[in-house]
Formats: sequence, C-alpha cells, structure tokens
Amino acid sequence: MQMSDAVGFSASTPTVWRPRHAEEAYRLKKQFGHDAAYVSGGTLLRTQWENGSPVPGHLIDLSSAAEWKEAGADNGTFAIGAQTTLSACRSDPQLQALYPLIVEASRSIAAPSIRNLATIGGNVSSGVGDSLPALLVYEAQLDWYDDGGERTESLEDWLRRMQDGTAQTDSLLLRVRLPLESANLDPSENLSENPSLTADPAHSFAYYAKIGRRDSFVPSAVTTALTGTIDGSGRLRRVRLAAGGGKTIPRRYPEAEARLEGKAADDRSVHLLHAILMASYTPAPDPFLSDEYRKRTAANVAASHLWRAISEFAHGKEGERCC
Amino acid sequence: MLLNRRNSGERWRVRPDGPGKVTGALAYLTDMDVPGALYALVLRSPHPHARIVSIHTEAARSLPGVAAVLTHADVPGLNRFGIARQDQPVFCEDRTRYVGDAVAAVAAETLALAGSALDLIEVEYEPLPIVGDPEQALLPEAPLLHPEGNILHSKSYRSGDAEAIFGQCAHVVEETYVTTRQMHAYMETEGGLFVPGPDGSLTVYAPTQHGFMDRLQLSRILAMPERRIRIVSSPIGGSFGGKDELNVQPYGSLLAMVTGRPVKIHNSRRESVRSGLKRHPMTIRMKTGTDESGRILAHRVRIVADTGPYATLGAEVLNFATEHVVSAYRFGSVDVESISVFTNNGMSGEFRGFGGNQAIFALEGQMDRLAEAVGMDPWEFRRLNMKAADEPGPFGQTIARTDGLAKVWAAAADSALWKERVHLDISENSDIISTSSATFDPKRGGGDLPLWKRTGIGAALVMHGAGLGYGIPDPSGGRLALRKDGKIEASFGFEECGQGLIATLEQMLVERFGFAAEDLRIVIGDSDAVPDSGSSTASRATSMMWKSLSLLQTPFTEKLLTEAANCCGLPVQRLRLGPGGIWDRESGERAIGYPALAERLAEPIVCEASTSYPVPDTDIVGAHYLYSYAAVVVKVEIDDLTGRIRVLRQFHAVAAGPVMNPQGYLGQIEGGSSMALGFALLEESTMAQGQYIANNFDTYLIPTIADLSGPVEVLAIEDLPDGDAYGPRGVGEIGSVGLAAAIASAVRNAAGIFIHRLPIDPALLQEVMPIGQWAVMSDER
Amino acid sequence: MNDKETAAIADWSCTVNGRAVALQLPQARRLLDIIREDLGLTGTKRSCEIGRCGACMVLVDGAPVNACLMMAYQCAGRTLVTIEGIANEDDLHPVQRAFLEEGGYQCGYCTPGMIVSVKALLDAKPNPSFEEVEEALSGNLCRCTGYGGILRAVHRAIEEGQSRP
Repeated sequence: MQMSDAVGFSASTPTVWRPRHAEEAYRLKKQFGHDAAYVSGGTLLRTQWENGSPVPGHLIDLSSAAEWKEAGADNGTFAIGAQTTLSACRSDPQLQALYPLIVEASRSIAAPSIRNLATIGGNVSSGVGDSLPALLVYEAQLDWYDDGGERTESLEDWLRRMQDGTAQTDSLLLRVRLPLESANLDPSENLSENPSLTADPAHSFAYYAKIGRRDSFVPSAVTTALTGTIDGSGRLRRVRLAAGGGKTIPRRYPEAEARLEGKAADDRSVHLLHAILMASYTPAPDPFLSDEYRKRTAANVAASHLWRAISEFAHGKEGERCC
Repeated sequence: MLLNRRNSGERWRVRPDGPGKVTGALAYLTDMDVPGALYALVLRSPHPHARIVSIHTEAARSLPGVAAVLTHADVPGLNRFGIARQDQPVFCEDRTRYVGDAVAAVAAETLALAGSALDLIEVEYEPLPIVGDPEQALLPEAPLLHPEGNILHSKSYRSGDAEAIFGQCAHVVEETYVTTRQMHAYMETEGGLFVPGPDGSLTVYAPTQHGFMDRLQLSRILAMPERRIRIVSSPIGGSFGGKDELNVQPYGSLLAMVTGRPVKIHNSRRESVRSGLKRHPMTIRMKTGTDESGRILAHRVRIVADTGPYATLGAEVLNFATEHVVSAYRFGSVDVESISVFTNNGMSGEFRGFGGNQAIFALEGQMDRLAEAVGMDPWEFRRLNMKAADEPGPFGQTIARTDGLAKVWAAAADSALWKERVHLDISENSDIISTSSATFDPKRGGGDLPLWKRTGIGAALVMHGAGLGYGIPDPSGGRLALRKDGKIEASFGFEECGQGLIATLEQMLVERFGFAAEDLRIVIGDSDAVPDSGSSTASRATSMMWKSLSLLQTPFTEKLLTEAANCCGLPVQRLRLGPGGIWDRESGERAIGYPALAERLAEPIVCEASTSYPVPDTDIVGAHYLYSYAAVVVKVEIDDLTGRIRVLRQFHAVAAGPVMNPQGYLGQIEGGSSMALGFALLEESTMAQGQYIANNFDTYLIPTIADLSGPVEVLAIEDLPDGDAYGPRGVGEIGSVGLAAAIASAVRNAAGIFIHRLPIDPALLQEVMPIGQWAVMSDER
Repeated sequence: MNDKETAAIADWSCTVNGRAVALQLPQARRLLDIIREDLGLTGTKRSCEIGRCGACMVLVDGAPVNACLMMAYQCAGRTLVTIEGIANEDDLHPVQRAFLEEGGYQCGYCTPGMIVSVKALLDAKPNPSFEEVEEALSGNLCRCTGYGGILRAVHRAIEEGQSRP
C-alpha cells in the first residue's frame, strides 16, 4: 500500500546491524535478502526512502570497520576503502597528486555536508555515480566480498554487467583499486628512463566535467572524463575516455581510444572524438533533458577536453620556441 | 547613490527580528507544539480528475490512537474556500479536480499513526479524462470542470482599431511568448498549530499573509462567528504570495474543533509541492506594428492563462497581466483579449509579480524585436515610445504622476554595463563580418574566456502597479498607543514574511516621531490585537504604513505632548517627542519618560487611522494608480558546449519614491531578482497529465549561491514630483519582474537568438561542434 | 513489543551543545526528528527532507551534516552542535553578529543552517577564497535574499576574524 506523500521514513523502525568484518556483513545480507540494505553514508538511500521507496527491515551499517576507510598505496596499487567519505577523497593530498580527477569528481558531487556522509563505495555501488567516469579512465578495479570470499574485477567489467543486468546485488564492495601506471606521474620521469625519446617533453592531460541543469548541487546530465598523453612528436598516446550522466551507466569508449592512438594531436582528432561520441553516447531517458541535447553535450565537452590538452601542449611548445 | 550599507550610514539598522533569527530562538508557527497535541495529515486525490464513487473511513477511525477522521460530511459550515470566489472544496464531495484536492483528514496521537490511518481510508475513484492544458480545455468536446464551463475569467481592453492599423505599419512583429509554472519554494512549508479553547473558541497559529481574511474564511467553514476565532499569522518563513490563500488551515481547525485537542500540521515538501499554488503559466501572443521611424501604431495581445481547477486569485492575476501588456509605452491602437482557463493541472495563484512577470517578459521581448526590425538601438527604441510623466496609465486612466520611467531609463543608459554594450556593438560593426566563425568576434572568448564562451548585455524596462486595483476593496489603517507599561505600541494588521516589515515600521517610527527603538513595541500578526490593515501583498504594506503614520502623527503627538504638558507643568509648545520620553526644547533635557507618563494616565493614549490604497478614477476593474518603475541591465555568459547561461553582473535602477529602509529595499530587489533568475533559467514545475514531475528540490531547481555570485548593483531613485502625497511606493515585487526579459535581451546580444519561452532551453543555444575552425595544431608531422 | 522492535530501539547517547544526552530511541530514527521533537530544539529547520536545502544543517564532530539524512546510530557517541549551541554563553558568535550587522537574512528560515555552514567553513579555513565560500555554501538554499546579504555577512566575518589578535 503506497505511503502517502506526507509521511516518509519516520514511520518505520528498521533494525540496525553493525558488522565489524566483511564476512559478517555479507552473511547478514544473504540472510535477510531484499529486506536488508547495505548502508554506507545512507544519503542516497534516505533520499529514496523519503521519495516513497520501501524501507527495509534491516540496515547493515558499513561504517564500523576502520580498514574500510583508509586510502593509500597497497601492493603496487592505490587502494581507497569503500567507506572513505567523498569529503575525505576531496581533500586527500595523495589523490590530488596522483589521481586528481577523483578529487575533481568528488568536488562535483552533491554538496559538502552530503559529502561528509556519502562514501565513494556508495557512489560506485549505485552504478551511475559521478565518480565512475574518473575511475574508469584510471582503469580502476573493485574488490568485492561475496560467496567465494574476496575477489577483484575491473570496474569496466562490473559496469558492463550492471548494464546487462547480470551483476550480483548482494556482493559487498570493499575497496576501489587504482593501478599506479594510471597515476598522474611527472612525464619527465619517464624521460629519464627512456633516453630514446626525443628531447621534446611529453604532455600528460586529465580532464573531468559534470554538467547538470544548474551550476552546483545538481544531478548530473552528462559526466565526462579524459586522460592521455601527447608525446614529444605531437601524437596522442593512451587516450582514455569515459562518459556517463544521470541514469546512464558510465562506460569507456574503446573505439575512440583506439582510433586516436598515435594520431596527430590536432583539430582533426578533436573532430574525430566528437563524431565518435555523437554516434555512440547513448543516454538513458531523462524527464528534463532530451537525448539529443545530452549527446551533443557529451561530445562537445569531451572534445573541449581534448582541445584544451592540445592547446596547452601547443602553448608549451611555443614557449620553448620563443626562448 | 547605490544602495549599500556604507551609503546608508545610520539608516542601515539591525532588524528587530534579527537576534531571534540568527540564534534559532525565534519560533515559527510550524515549530510550535504543545503537550497533548494531535498530529494531522490530509488525504489528497491521486488522480488529477476523478469522480468519487465512495469514501469509507471506518477502518481508519477504528485504528487505536486515531482521534478523528473527517470528510465533507463533517464540515459544519461552508465546504468551500477562496479569497475572491469560494469554489474550492475543503473536502471533495463527488469529484476531484487536481492531485492536491483534499478528500479526508486525520488526527492521531503520532504522525506515524496518522500516516497509517491515511492508508486505511478507502476511496473508490472513477478516473475521468484529464484536461491537461488550456487549449484542450477550450475545445467544444472538452470535459466541463465546472458547471459554468472551463473559463474562469476573461478580460478585454480595446482602444482604436488595431487590426485596421496593422496594414499601415512599416514594421510588424509577431511572436508567441510562453512562461513557466514557477513555484514559490518558500523554505518553510505550510502548517501550524490549531488550539481549541475551553469556551468553544479557536486559536489558529498558522502563517498567512492576511490573518483577517483567514478568519473570515474559517468562520464560514466552521460556522463560527469571527470573534471566536483568533489568527496568529507571523512570523512566516517565506511566502511570496503563496500563503495568502488558505491551505492547511481548514483541516487543522476542523480537527481541533472536533477532537477538542490541539492539532499540529506541518507539510512535507512533497505535500507542499502537490497541493500548493504556482505561478500562472501563460501563453501570450503579441502582434505589434510601428511606422517607419519606429513609433508603435498598433498592438494586439492574446493571453491564455492556465489557472488550474479553482479560482483563488486567478481572475485578478489575469486582470493584472492584461494591464501590464499595455504598460510603459504608447501603443496607438490597442486590442487585448485575455482568458484564464480551468484545467486539471496544479493550482495557479498569487505569486510575487502577480502576472506582471509574464506580461513584461512578452512586452519587452516585443520591444527588442521591433527595435531590430526598425534598425534602432533597443534602448533608444524604448525611449522613443515610452510614455511621458503626464500621460495616462495602461488603461487610459489617470495615474500618479512621476518621472520614474524616464529616470530609470536614463540610469540604465548611463550605467557602466550598458555603455560596455554600446561600445562592443560599435567595435563589432566596424569589423568585416562574415558567416565564418573564424573572424573576430569581440563577444567570443577574449581575456580569460575560452573560445566557446560568449558574453552579451541586455536590458529591460518595467512599470509595475501596486495595490489591489480599482474595483477591489483595499482598506488599511493602523494604531498607535502609549500603553500602561510605558511602551509606544504600534499595531498593524500586517505580517512579516521576511520582507522586513517590522524593521521598516520601526524605522519609520524612529525617523518620523523621534522615538528610540527601545521605546517601541510593534504588534502585528494577531487578529485579536491589531486593526485590519488589509493583506500584506501587492507591494502595498510600506505605502499603507507610511500613510497611516502620516495620519496618526499629528493627533498622537498632540495627545502625548498635551498629557506631558499637564504632568510637567510646562507649556506644550516647549515640548517635543524624543528618545525615551518627551523633551523640553528650551532646557534641552528630558521632561518626562514614556513609562512615567503612562503611569500618570487614567487611560492609555490610543489613536487609530483608517485609509485605503489609492485607486484611479476609472471603471476598469484592476486598473492601478500608483506604479513603481525599474530598469534592469544584465551581462550574461553563454557556454556553447552546453548552451547554459551564467548571469555575470546586474544593474537595477528602481524609482519607487523615498527609501524607507535601505537594507530592506536592497534585500527586496536582490531577492526578487534571484526569483527572476530562476524564472528565466532554472525553474519549471513540470506537469505531465496533471501529475507533478519535479516534486522536491532535487529536481525543482532554484538558484544556489553559485548561480548568484555575480555583483548586483541597486540604484534607488527617490525623486517624486513636488506635491506628491503618496510617499514611498512598494518594492516587494518589482525586483522580480524585469530580469528575465533582460536576460533574454542579453542572449540575443550574445548569440543572435531570440528567446520566447521560459525557462530558457539550453539546447537552443548549444552549438553542434563549437570548437569551430580554430586550428590548434595542424598536422605538420 | 515484539523482538524486532526491541532490537530496533536502543540506548542512544550523544553530547548535544555541550551537554550529555541519553535517550532510548529507534536506531534508525532521523536525527532531525531527535533534535526537533525529542530534544525540543526547533532552531534546526525541516524544509526539503532530502538533504537538498541545508535548512537542517548541524555540526557532528565539527563537520556540517544534514540532520534530515543522518540516522541516530550514525551520531551516537559523537558531538552534536545545533544553531542553539553556536553562540557563547553570554555573547553571539562572530558569524551571528556579522549576519545581524549585514542583514544576511530576511525570513530567517534558512539562517540557522546557513550560519552553521559558515561557522564550519571559517573554523576550517579562517580566510577562504571566494570559490571556497561558494563551495562551502553550495548546499544551503535561500529563497529570500539572492545570497547578497549572506555573502556580505560572510565577508564581514572573515574580515573581523582576520583582524582579531
């Protein structure tokens, strides 16, 4: 029976469980099934409950284990505990240095007070969170806990399974892992290890944008992320492009990435990127913005990322020539 | 002088209601609670249009903890309400006409129990075909929403023969303007505490802009004499016109009287969205023609307003829009027809600007289009056509004469922003323009702006009437007293909804009489304690307080001084009012304090004044007499990638007579313009098939601090002609009226696109591949 | 009461505005309801109920949080400060004084949440940039002022904070 608009969550009294370990949390979820929900910050869930979604009888609070809140180097990767708040991500100096798009994405999600509660794990688990395009271009992996214990899969794979409807719903997200190769390392370091490269330094770039119907504190209409390098000879290398927005499950664009590999960094490659996204960005329906508008926005914004990268590279070269 | 704290000096004061607001100590009426109170909820129709087949409340009533469940059968008096026409059911009997229509109400020991009880009320509906827009409602085969048909009100105004004149015009512009269903979005939703007295009386603590009107309406519904009902109506957490009409008061009152216990209601936001009022969406078709030189010769307007299912103030809003589509300019021959149409959409009603926002958006859009057709600068075009100070008002009526229109026009023309536009236009025209985007475009990029951002500057001119207009009783008044406790008590039947009414009244009393703030007690918002000053609406309260005080000044002063003279044995001519008491002009000392004087009196000194808002000498209902004038200049930035618009900078010139309270005046213009920004760019209470699509602030987007961080300058022009007897005009609404039109004008300037629909669709301004021909690095390798 | 209900209701303790509070309540009870109804502190306002307006902003261990989103168990054992706890014993907080002097409010309903957010910002960053102010207040909606008075109040509070020894 539908609850009236007038009364939201306050009518229900779910039991709150506070497991210390992944095994315990997962066991509870399996035990109660649909009548239980994992709760990280709870901000997304509470919004859904106020909007009339049924409140489960059991809440499995994931905030109790300290290990799930840490971020740092771990075994050749950079691991962010799933219960790390978006505020913590926003202000983490290591993330800013190595994976700045994650900081940028965190800043664009909701508002500071919500970020004090909301977690990166919650944002990822929704399947449509605005952190996902940034994580995708950094080739993130996810550590899950379920029937077989801990396992790791690529974020890209998991999102594909979310798109297909084949992702498991009871698995517990433990960590987001980022490969150190994706980190925003100083390209001149590469130079010293590879003397065969030309004397012209390579230029790494990383861009993220979230576009909504308002400048701040807004659900995303389109979210884009682009990383890559322009090598000393002015060619694009290792371009990574991801886009999502609204209810659209974010994904990588391997066709664009492949076709840009080795291409000259010029306005033709900008046009190419634009054309591919126009053809392949497929937004989920949105009651406020047309598909056509969002396709064009995704293509325009991603193309502008590449334009900026090329423009900065060109200015850097001009600066050299001047001297 | 620009309005700000520094320029205002001592006139910039701390508001008397400030300390309670910054500490959280001030209790709003929705914060009130008493032990033993019941909690109430209203059951509303899930269908936009349905026949009610049956209502069964037995299951709900028998739930333990439920004190009462009411339906239409339980209304002792009139089962209808509405400020102008009582056509809205308190509880629907056989038919519901929108998703906010009430069918039943419950009071229970807890909110949770009330919710459970609501779910147990069984209502069988037979859905009926939904009338989803006015055009559909006007078709012959449309279902009739009311016995007399689907038209609430129509109004026409004609002068000369516009149709015939169009043929003679050198330039004719036709356009259809469409404006959005905007929501008030006050931060405090509707609600209150309803307390029955042991003697069968009722005290209602519920925010409203007109306590006495609520009392009248409730007395009809409850079949109780008005004197048994007390309305406490202030403080209010924002209203903007949305809390003038009744909302939850009938339900709280009925439940309190039936149960004999206090009842508390506090709408959730979703409930408020669903049942509350919105701004009338309007479609305004205009056809306007000029001669060769740009003088307007003919102007034809057709307005269609979507008023929702019931009247409220729909007819009055339509009258206001009708007047304002022919405001400010000489039009030659005029032909206006407007119609307000019933639909099953949400309720439309009173909203700051009152139809002027829609009308001025359309009218100013015509002015920009005509200027271009004629080949004139748009602001010069306005000067050519705008009315002089001694010309009649929009309906040909005599209006209070002021130079306001010319002065705000000139202030805008002189502003740095407008001069920037003129300079840019000149430099643009001096380059060779080709269709390729590779040529120099002074508005594109430049400085720190990336290539895909463009800026533009636009302006709009506003004339906005205050007061209820001819044909509607518009009485007012106030009271001053020296009470037994020594306080100078000022009582007005107005409400404080944030506009600074209390602060303005205090400032008027301090400046006019010489009292100190500590001498005063200001009483508002309690129908047992104050005279009826009329509604706090229509930008009328400041004028009416000013007028009342000017009527009260001599008698009140004389009485105080005479009594003081008796007490002190001093000649009355030596005495004057001052801070703390009455002062001796000769000795320069205080002769007697107000408390001491009050103690010596057998009776308190009380003076009352009655007045009414000035109306023109006419027979056209709704015509106004006093107007405020404004010009808005705005600079915007368009992002070609997304088509989104940022407002960078605003300049407002406002002519509304003397500034009574600089902080309040500035706040009204700044706040009004933020509502206009939302109206133009962000806000739409989208409906589909009579259902609200956006029902909270996650999808109904009002401006945040990020949207409004550009500078806003406000120039108050205070001059009035010698002999003007009307004092300050109101500025509560005018700030919200012009900015949307100015933004549209700026968009034309930036992007060459005319906007005719609000909110502005970013898709119209988005470029397909905006990086253009600007090569960043050609393929040399 | 059945077992599920006893499990759902638990002891809850918290330091509220410097005072120790102990209650028995459902673990998932909304913090906003605890503050307004159980503790009778109505300075914290109910407006959108989905964390989109900031009228219910409070400080939990010094960090701004929407009370409409937080549940009892998430606040247990922590330090909660509401608008009523912002002022000192005898005096207003400098942020409150700045709002009074600049007129950074009109209807006042958003004001408690706004002041809480400003205090949190200036406690963390006494001299924030304009962008930092914008970001910090992006979750606080005001319908009355157009944010002009609010920004003036924030800048005054910053200036006065900088000039204090």
